[in-house]
Amino acid sequence: MSEPRNALIEMKNIDLNFGTVKALSDVSVDFSEGELVGLVGDNGAGKTTLIRILSGMYAPTSGEVYFDGRRITRFHPKLAIDLGIETIQQTVGLCDNLSVARNYYLGREPVKRVLGIVPVLDFTQMRAASKKVVHNFGLRDSVDVDDEAALLSGGEAQSFKIGRAVDFRNRVIIMDEPTNHLSVRERAHVNDLALQLRDQGLLVIYITHDIFQVHRLADRIVILENGRKIVDAPKEAVSAESLEQIIRDGSREINEG
Amino acid sequence: MMLRVMRILRKRTEVGVAVITLVLIVGFTVTSQGIWLSAGNMREVLRVTSILAIIAFGEALVIAAGEIDISVGSTFGIVGIIYIAIGPQIGTPLAIVIALGAALIIGSLNGFVVAYYRVSSLVVTLGSLFVFRGLALAATQTASHYNAGATMRANAIYRLFGASGVLGYNNALVWALVILLILQYVLFWTPIGNWLLAVGGNAESARSRGVSVMRTKWGAFIACAFLAGLAGILEAGDLGYADGSLGRQRELQAIAAAVLGGTALIGGRTSPVGTFLGAFVLSGISSYLVIKGMNPQWFILLLGLIVVLVSLADHGLTRLVSKAATSRSV
Repeated sequence: MSEPRNALIEMKNIDLNFGTVKALSDVSVDFSEGELVGLVGDNGAGKTTLIRILSGMYAPTSGEVYFDGRRITRFHPKLAIDLGIETIQQTVGLCDNLSVARNYYLGREPVKRVLGIVPVLDFTQMRAASKKVVHNFGLRDSVDVDDEAALLSGGEAQSFKIGRAVDFRNRVIIMDEPTNHLSVRERAHVNDLALQLRDQGLLVIYITHDIFQVHRLADRIVILENGRKIVDAPKEAVSAESLEQIIRDGSREINEG
Repeated sequence: MMLRVMRILRKRTEVGVAVITLVLIVGFTVTSQGIWLSAGNMREVLRVTSILAIIAFGEALVIAAGEIDISVGSTFGIVGIIYIAIGPQIGTPLAIVIALGAALIIGSLNGFVVAYYRVSSLVVTLGSLFVFRGLALAATQTASHYNAGATMRANAIYRLFGASGVLGYNNALVWALVILLILQYVLFWTPIGNWLLAVGGNAESARSRGVSVMRTKWGAFIACAFLAGLAGILEAGDLGYADGSLGRQRELQAIAAAVLGGTALIGGRTSPVGTFLGAFVLSGISSYLVIKGMNPQWFILLLGLIVVLVSLADHGLTRLVSKAATSRSV
């Protein structure tokens, strides 16, 4: 879909072992800005492991990772956040016991100084920013940003996390199974948001095991199987049905082997 | 309307214990013909409350961070003993610095093993409970107890730490109230408090936002041991001596006070004001049993019941609120 350009993220010959288990074997893949990439594979194929390297939770055993042309040597969640890489996962990202406003800036809270010396959380800014996202990203109008995040529905929590990621001017949004357990309407809403982010020039990596859903959204499909990359193609080049066949055949080969 | 009330109860966790406090004040005063609320008795109740509250403040931080520290009674004891044992030789100010330094070391060790090696805090601090109680007993084996002596007792700084009063009340009350204000500020008005509650509520989410779970938990253990040590100094200063049983079983009371005050045992929620009131309720019950001539051993039984009942009530309330909120949103 898009013209060839310098990739924002380049992963070269990535291996990742957990003890004797090879979670990733010689995976090389590039991701560019303004692109929505579907990362597909069966359970245990290595999708989540791959993106956990990008979100700084795992370091590869060997191989190279470049971000914006710079080699990444240290892997830490904080560094990924600083680079503008945000991973949106269903069960992670919001603390249910904190208010929506407190969740918004968690980890980078705005502070103002009372009387010029005493640092105090800037509640005005926390409320204003989270209210904006509640309003712009399709949450109920009745959501009070001082309420605990536990009171958000699953779709609202996802939309809020996406909105927060956009507001923080991230360059990469990784969505890990973003629509599991969502209602049909909420699912459509979250998928719309993914397309909007892509159109705004962000890199969106959309992880799912539902090839049909992601084929409608994505510009490019990458399939992992048993820790290896087995497909990397623009979506026009391959139909969803043939991709599903590839995933199924891959599994059969392993089962028979 | 019901939902609003329940939401307030969840947001302002100290409301529950505040109601209990009021009921007990009235009940105890009436049924003891006013003896319980008399100035003389309140002086003692508030002294015990303040020292217990200071330990419980620290305990509440650790519980809010999703861990538990059952060694605070032993930390309290060993720090109090160090203070009284070395004070007469090296002078009160240096003794305080060394005793509190010991508390910081104990907290660092507990916190490091829990946060870095991810060992269960119950196991780690059970170990510290025995180690430092054992040291306390060993240190007092020959002398049976240490005495502050006349010179140390006359020292102005010594008197500042639990050995003199303000308007007739032991100055431990001032310490407790100042610490309460500091904690209220740190917990709810600074990023550090936000991290602590986030780590206790959902450590993985906190980590995904770049919050260091390890450092946050470690810090909570250090603060907890520091406060337990400070409380030990205040108690030893008030008594003027320290023996091997100083602070024994105080960890149970500290946990009970924190939980009673609205600290969630699963982490993520606490209230310094509630914790102070929780300590007041426990000290008040203990004093009431004495006034009524009841066997003080019943107090331990009551402690256990309080912890279980409060946890059950909290669990029920949480379910009610989330149920009411979801049914409304549909």
